[in-house]
Amino acid sequence: MRLLTTLGAAMLLGAPLAAQSSQFGTRGLGIPLSPISVRATGLGGGFSLFDAQSALNPASIGEVLFLNASFQTVQSWRHSESPAGSASISDNRYPGVFVAGPIGGTPLSVSLSASGYTDRNFVLASRDTLILRGVPVESFDTISSQGGLSDLRLAVALRQSSAIQWGVGFHMIPGSNRIVSHRAFADTTYSGASERFTYSYLGFGISAGVVARIGKYLTLAGMVRADNRVKVELDSASLGHAKLPMTFSGGARLQLGDRVLVAGSALYRNWSTSSADLVRLGGIGSVNTTELSAGVEYYPDPKRPTKHPFRFGVRHATLPFPLRLGDKTSETAVSAGTSFRFVAGRAGLDMALQQLWRKGGAGFTERATLLTLGVSVRP
Amino acid sequence: MRRLGSFTVSLLGLGLLVACQERLSSPAECPQLCPGTSLVVFDTVITATAGLDSSFTGYVGADQAPALLVSDGISAGEARAFATFPRRSDSVSIAGILTPVSVDSVALTTQLLARDSTVTGLKIFYYRVTPDLDSTVTLAALDAMMTPDNLIDSLLVSDTLRRGPLRLIVKRDDLGRLAGSDADSGRFGLGIRIKAPQPTGVRLGSILSVQGGPVLIGYGSVVTLDTAQQHQTLTTTADKSNYVIEPPAISPDGLVVGGKLGTRIILRFDIPRRIRDSATVLRATLELTPVGPIPGLRNDPIALQVRGVLVDLGAKSPALSTLVSSGTLLADSTDVQLVEVFSIVSAWFTPGSKAPTTLLMAVVPEGGSFGRPEFVSTADPVNGPRLRITYALPSRPGHP
Repeated sequence: MRLLTTLGAAMLLGAPLAAQSSQFGTRGLGIPLSPISVRATGLGGGFSLFDAQSALNPASIGEVLFLNASFQTVQSWRHSESPAGSASISDNRYPGVFVAGPIGGTPLSVSLSASGYTDRNFVLASRDTLILRGVPVESFDTISSQGGLSDLRLAVALRQSSAIQWGVGFHMIPGSNRIVSHRAFADTTYSGASERFTYSYLGFGISAGVVARIGKYLTLAGMVRADNRVKVELDSASLGHAKLPMTFSGGARLQLGDRVLVAGSALYRNWSTSSADLVRLGGIGSVNTTELSAGVEYYPDPKRPTKHPFRFGVRHATLPFPLRLGDKTSETAVSAGTSFRFVAGRAGLDMALQQLWRKGGAGFTERATLLTLGVSVRP
Repeated sequence: MRRLGSFTVSLLGLGLLVACQERLSSPAECPQLCPGTSLVVFDTVITATAGLDSSFTGYVGADQAPALLVSDGISAGEARAFATFPRRSDSVSIAGILTPVSVDSVALTTQLLARDSTVTGLKIFYYRVTPDLDSTVTLAALDAMMTPDNLIDSLLVSDTLRRGPLRLIVKRDDLGRLAGSDADSGRFGLGIRIKAPQPTGVRLGSILSVQGGPVLIGYGSVVTLDTAQQHQTLTTTADKSNYVIEPPAISPDGLVVGGKLGTRIILRFDIPRRIRDSATVLRATLELTPVGPIPGLRNDPIALQVRGVLVDLGAKSPALSTLVSSGTLLADSTDVQLVEVFSIVSAWFTPGSKAPTTLLMAVVPEGGSFGRPEFVSTADPVNGPRLRITYALPSRPGHP
């Protein structure tokens, strides 16, 4: 119980922190994040609808037979290029905390998770020349944002049979963007100036999903999620609302012999529903997104599948918030991962290494390497 | 189980420690990439509130001169200095016995604080004047005393000397010129004027200045068997020093600052609420238009000090020592004078600030500078005192 309390506290602390700071997160609500485990990350996201430690499909926790908790951290190294120049950046974030377990004596499982919904961490630097008192004066501007939207989920799954699991999730979507804008001048007779303020967000959503085993080797899964409008405030003054999208996802998992498991999934979000609201808030709108992912997991020891499995995955996704009107932004990733177990399998360390490419419009590219580490424990 | 829990909590703690350590900065192509614009910069000129600008005088006592001004033909006015000395001692105590000193020579030392170093051939003339002088003496009266008959001696100032002691040595035969008369109880009065091939002036140390005022040092000997004490000096410092100046007339609508009695200018500004409430000051410059060429001594810059006030009580407004700006004015300049007053004005814009939007100006050292600028007042709405404020308004960038 004490452990769960601790994990719950950590979940709340970790919730506002997200991953993948990027110049592509400057628009709209930022870069959408996947609420998936380190294992699913190593598999390119292809297994996320089936993975019991991912928070995408509430039905997937139906597989949980023991109370378990996991949390993860991501270190990223990124190189960004834009028409204004290039920069190499690194950061470290928490993408999520996850606790799940069965409800004794019932076919139900429950989970509580905190993960990122969108990430909006960035610092942009630019320079300009202003005419002040009739004289050109060079100015140096920086704007930074810290925060994003988090996804706190309470999910319940029902094991209807050994072949079918149903699940439903209730989501709270809080968040904030702490914005700091600073302007300094090359002419030191002019003092610099800053402004600081915070955008706050709060929304709610619900999700439902199913996992169905078809025969011995094939498993299908699907989920749908409906998020309502997120309330937007600027330093506690209401700015209005922004609609959040519906999410539809489906996937298949296939077992190939004793050693190989492959899976793939597709995900669609109608982010364009937010576009009008974002334009009204000052942005340039949003577009619908699709995400395709696939992965393969190989077990060197079929009797102990958690011992040093090899994971590989690929993923391609379009991004909802273009940098410039009409631009198409997307990201493509390849990933690999494995895991280690300790303390008679009660604790584990999962790791995933992703190489990720983003592009959007003319001249905006990004290359990132993400090392995700996850610790899971089974009390 | 407990070990597992500890392991988990330790990892969580470690994770929290390393979280959010980041190095983020991407070059941006704004405005295409930036979500909103940076702070928007504006420039505005706010003229001093008409009719609420004034000059007040009397901040320096008539006998509290921090320096002695002496001039010859400059625009700041004719100035002469004087000092008085108490009766000079004529003996020293040796082994507890008062022993008369036979004075051989006397050094009259004054401290040169500033001069126009481009003027060569500067000569300082020392006169014997009545020791009854006080601050009521006029220039004409003092000049009338400085006749050739009363001349003690003159000193040619080295052209390379910019500041430091000036020593005039008076030898035995002329010592009577430095002696006080019995009618004056032994007191001695010294008058100082200068001459140079060109109009110029000097500032000398007064008894209130750090460098000290005029000093008489007598060098002599005593009759004693102790050879180490045979040579003695007798030092007499001036007990009063002052100067008299006849400044040029001022225009009725002008704002004067400086002068012997310490004249100050008070300016008040009405900052629009829409700016004061939300702007961040980037630069604030006080612009002052001189009525004519600024009176002063060339190559002796005039330090104009601008201060904020704690409360606006008019002439008695207590100036804030923490909100000070200063500018340098040059004698004979006719340009609009600019004084950067960012530190003062930005304090007005501090949220919740109740500081009066009032500026108090003085020339430093107050009462000890030739600088006596006169500026156009708010009676002239175009050239009157004005604040040029460059400020930034929040733009609230970073919108979703």
